[in-house]
Amino acid sequence: MPQVRIIAKNFMDMVAALPAMKLDKLYENAFICEAILRSLPPLAKKYVLQMLCIEVPVTAKSMEEWVLPDGVSKHRVAIDRLIQLRIFTETVDRKRETTYTLNPIFQTNLKKLLLYGVVLPREPMPSNVTVRLPSSEDLEAFALGQWECFLLQLINSSQIERPSNISSSMMKIFQRGLLSQRDKEAPRLTESGFQFLLMDTNAQLWYIIREYISNSEERGVDSADLISFLLELSFHVTGEAYNINTLTEVQKNTIKDLADLGLVKLQQGRKDSWFIPTRLATNLSVSLTDSSSRKQGFVVVETNFRLYAYSTSKLHCEILRLFSRVEYQLPNLIVGAITKESLYSAFENGITADQIISFLQQNAHPRVAERVPSVPENVTDQIRLWETDLNRVEMTPAYHYDGFPSRDLFEGASDFARGYNALLWEDPEDSKKMSLVVKAENHVHMREYLSRQRQ
Amino acid sequence: MGHGDKGRPSKKLKFSAKEITHLDDEDAYFGGEDIDEDVRDGEGKKRDFTKLELKPDHINRPLWACADGRIFLETFSPLYKQAYDFLIAIAEPVCRPESMHEYNLTPHSLYAAVSVGLETETIISVLNKLSKTKLPKEMIDFIHGSTANYGKVKLVLKKNRYLVESPFPEVLKTLLKDEVISKSRIISEGSRGSDGFTISKTMGEIGAGPSDLLNEAELAAAAEEKETHAFEVDPTQVENVKERCLPNALNYPMLEEYDFRNDTVNPDLDMELKPQAQPRPYQEKSLSKMFGNGRARSGIIVLPCGAGKSLVGVSAASRIRKSCLCLATNAVSVDQWAFQFKLWSTIRDEQICRFTSDSKERFRGNAGVVVTTYNMVAFGGKRSEESEKIIEEIRNREWGLLLMDEVHVVPAQMFRKVISLTKSHCKLGLTATLVREDERITDLNFLIGPKLYEANWLDLVKGGFIANVQCAEVWCPMTKEFFAQYLKKENSKKKQALYVMNPNKFRACEFLIRFHEQQRGDKIIVFADNLFALVEYAMKLRKPMIYGATSHVERTKILEAFKTSRDVNTIFLSKVGDNSIDIPEANVIIQISSHAGSRRQEAQRLGRILRAKGKLQDRMAGGKEEYNAFFYSLVSMDTQEMYYSTKRQQFLIDQGYSFKVITGLPPPDSGPELNYHSLDDQLALLTKVLSAGDEAVGLEQLEEDADDIALHKARRFGGSMSAMSGANGMVYMEYSTGRHKLGKGQMKSKPKDPAKRHHLFKRRFG
Repeated sequence: MPQVRIIAKNFMDMVAALPAMKLDKLYENAFICEAILRSLPPLAKKYVLQMLCIEVPVTAKSMEEWVLPDGVSKHRVAIDRLIQLRIFTETVDRKRETTYTLNPIFQTNLKKLLLYGVVLPREPMPSNVTVRLPSSEDLEAFALGQWECFLLQLINSSQIERPSNISSSMMKIFQRGLLSQRDKEAPRLTESGFQFLLMDTNAQLWYIIREYISNSEERGVDSADLISFLLELSFHVTGEAYNINTLTEVQKNTIKDLADLGLVKLQQGRKDSWFIPTRLATNLSVSLTDSSSRKQGFVVVETNFRLYAYSTSKLHCEILRLFSRVEYQLPNLIVGAITKESLYSAFENGITADQIISFLQQNAHPRVAERVPSVPENVTDQIRLWETDLNRVEMTPAYHYDGFPSRDLFEGASDFARGYNALLWEDPEDSKKMSLVVKAENHVHMREYLSRQRQ
Repeated sequence: MGHGDKGRPSKKLKFSAKEITHLDDEDAYFGGEDIDEDVRDGEGKKRDFTKLELKPDHINRPLWACADGRIFLETFSPLYKQAYDFLIAIAEPVCRPESMHEYNLTPHSLYAAVSVGLETETIISVLNKLSKTKLPKEMIDFIHGSTANYGKVKLVLKKNRYLVESPFPEVLKTLLKDEVISKSRIISEGSRGSDGFTISKTMGEIGAGPSDLLNEAELAAAAEEKETHAFEVDPTQVENVKERCLPNALNYPMLEEYDFRNDTVNPDLDMELKPQAQPRPYQEKSLSKMFGNGRARSGIIVLPCGAGKSLVGVSAASRIRKSCLCLATNAVSVDQWAFQFKLWSTIRDEQICRFTSDSKERFRGNAGVVVTTYNMVAFGGKRSEESEKIIEEIRNREWGLLLMDEVHVVPAQMFRKVISLTKSHCKLGLTATLVREDERITDLNFLIGPKLYEANWLDLVKGGFIANVQCAEVWCPMTKEFFAQYLKKENSKKKQALYVMNPNKFRACEFLIRFHEQQRGDKIIVFADNLFALVEYAMKLRKPMIYGATSHVERTKILEAFKTSRDVNTIFLSKVGDNSIDIPEANVIIQISSHAGSRRQEAQRLGRILRAKGKLQDRMAGGKEEYNAFFYSLVSMDTQEMYYSTKRQQFLIDQGYSFKVITGLPPPDSGPELNYHSLDDQLALLTKVLSAGDEAVGLEQLEEDADDIALHKARRFGGSMSAMSGANGMVYMEYSTGRHKLGKGQMKSKPKDPAKRHHLFKRRFG
């Protein structure tokens, strides 16, 4: 199975991975140019702005002069990134001198953007058409509700009240790497899946959107189009209504999926229908590194291994259920217990003790978060001990040999195996059984040796 | 239990109002009790109460109440203190760690609540005020159902007349329909009223209710004088009347109260608390529950060991100021109780006496305090002439207070006997751990009375009233040779000896003793249930030991040396040391073997070091010393001990203690300075263990061992025919004294339970 890297890479890494043609096409959209500019490392941003009005190639040498000696590594990173994104074109002339030029399409569009500003391809609809728009709280609740519902469906929970419209084939794609299915068993969360659940919403969203984009070609949707639409969407205003008729057919299909994920809310008026972007959508172009939207902790773990989670979320309940026994569910509290059995089943699914502990620590309720340690030491110790307890038995594939015709042959074989440092066990000397166990990797040698002896 | 279905929320209630009124046997009646175990066992017992309606200001309220009786309390709520006092009165604590407490509402706990003067409506309204959600209807019904009959009838000894008292005349009429009760009734001349009930007024409840949580009107109602109706019963029939009122009969359990202020018949005892005896807040609180309405209630007060139970007992006695019979578990604690009485009260020497097999004193004057053991009173055999006289006196006297120490250890049977033998107006039971492995707490409740108060261990630790103990479980790997023998079938009877004598455990123990003696100058108690191990360890390490057969004189001598001498810093105790031997100096406990899964034993042993030491300010939260006492439990890895150990710790963990697991003791670099370093020594030890008789390596058997019976009840033993027929039983041991090594010989000579002695020998030992 391909290893899924769960570390939510920057959206821009995806952009950078697009073929040159598609990239150039992307830069025709001024919004993309702005989004890309925003995502750049500070030094690269500076270079782009400095070169904005320079039409001729700039030599690498003169550019190096712009930075102090201790900034060289940062300079390298910035340049690499710009080349990767095809914002800079690198040329080596006959004199072996390296020069850089700014991508002309990118340059023109960015200049236009700075000078005149740009308008979205669509305007918010006037409020007399769109009566009964949701309040910002309602919209937020809708977004999180959709997202939670999606996640519950993703991990195959039995707790879903109303399944979303996301097709099961699409769901399968999202689940790839997060769930593993052994035959006839219900799919289980893998280690990466667990890690995924522990990430914050933004990071989770990135992961899903990435999968969504990389799969787009199979659905007959151009990935560059999709990326550009998503980036464009992130420049819309949260809570405003936009007419659906301004979208292309492909975009109309996409927006339905996005509604299922909670990025937009769809509403139907008497004549028109419209979509309302939620915070999830407008956060798309925000760089991942500043996860300012750190969620407040909600878990209290006590020294008696009981766990109290201040949460109304079914998803939290599902996450807790992965490694603890949920005993009570109250309107705003989940009560559970961390038991040896519940942990063993978590370990069996590939979830590690460290993951569980860091989840408990990162989500510690403010009441206990200042306490050091936030999760009682005896609990963390015990979780680790239980994990190491499982690893006390080391498995070595081996072969068992018996029925030796003579003691000489038996002793010879045992010496031979010892010579390879492969003898795991042999019958005590006084025993008449004459059997020994040898590492499987040396089976070939043993067989050769024994057949040689027989001749 | 019908909870087999996994994952599906089980909404089945363990009890309902209907059940309560129609049940006819006592055990089923208290079916609510096993909820706590129920929740911990097995998977899939999740209870879904998400549909409960949250109140808009739920953040300010401290608790959640579930339909099945479970209550969760936030300890960081500003209302925590009031809520705690209230909950401890109406519910049974399940666990009380730092941030969140859990309680169970049981018929039992509601009985206790009613008996300290809380009324049904008060319980519901206060609970509703504290709850974040609307109270589930099931819970309200349950409270109504459980309290409907409780606390309606009181048995009052007034001017030496037994009165059945109730504010509800219709209840009295119901009672009188019963044949036994109506026959016992004495119709006096002065009775008034249409039913012939005496009508009088009693003082309302003061201080017991959660006064700050009630509004004025409710408060006024509670304090108001109430009219009560009463009829008198024949003193000789009191036990029968009480019996008829129990839940398995008429289901109007009677509360017992003693109006001691108006008791002019029994002579007063001239004693009061000395001025320096200042009860601490929680001691005051427990006393106020007992004397809440100006009378003395019977019941049980639960305080951790070392928190000053004896002061509560002495205070109660000096408040009632009548003759007091104080019962302890053994002779050493009899001495300690007598000492406590003299220490805290102004009682004169001639007014207090001890009655044990060694000292048979009698007090002078017409009132006094007698301190004795349960055994002395309950003993059924023939006594010496002198003790016969004393026991006659005890039986004939009307005691103002029957003070009973360590009520959780005494078998229910013995209780019944003691209580029926002695006439007392008020019974006060004291204990640290209201856990019994045999779950016969119910008996205690109806024999003595409801639980009046239970302190929170962690709060006392924070207040610096008891020591802050670092608990640790030391995991000792079995040595290869010992483990191989442990796994052999033929050694099944020696399993315990093998894991206790595990050389790694011995070395860990020796290391800890050295560390605490030399580095910290601590006083250490080592506990071993296994006598073989006790003797081996103590002899090897050259430390004094006390076990069942050690004479009273010798015990006193060893304890004295431990308390005063600088050279005696470690003593070895068998399970005789579990209860009520007061060793305030000790602050380290090392447990090398213990009694299977007994939660109570673990708590009691911890209790030996709970008495706070050092300056108060150092002990308070944030003080100089974080931990000033240490409790180590040594377990051999991969053996039964690990399983038992987890079970044993449950009670303490529920009180908020945590056990830190220590691996890697003794340190890997430790060499021959600790015993059993070389393989030869270890093998010699192994041979010794294996060659010892099966009986010799077993548990020490003490007379009346409640836990033992309880824990063994459910287990099945395999044994050879010869063992069953006594071939290697007691008889053999009686006569083997001389041939065995020191220690084992002494063990044999310990006195046997007199009750079990053959009648031919009874006279000789009497």
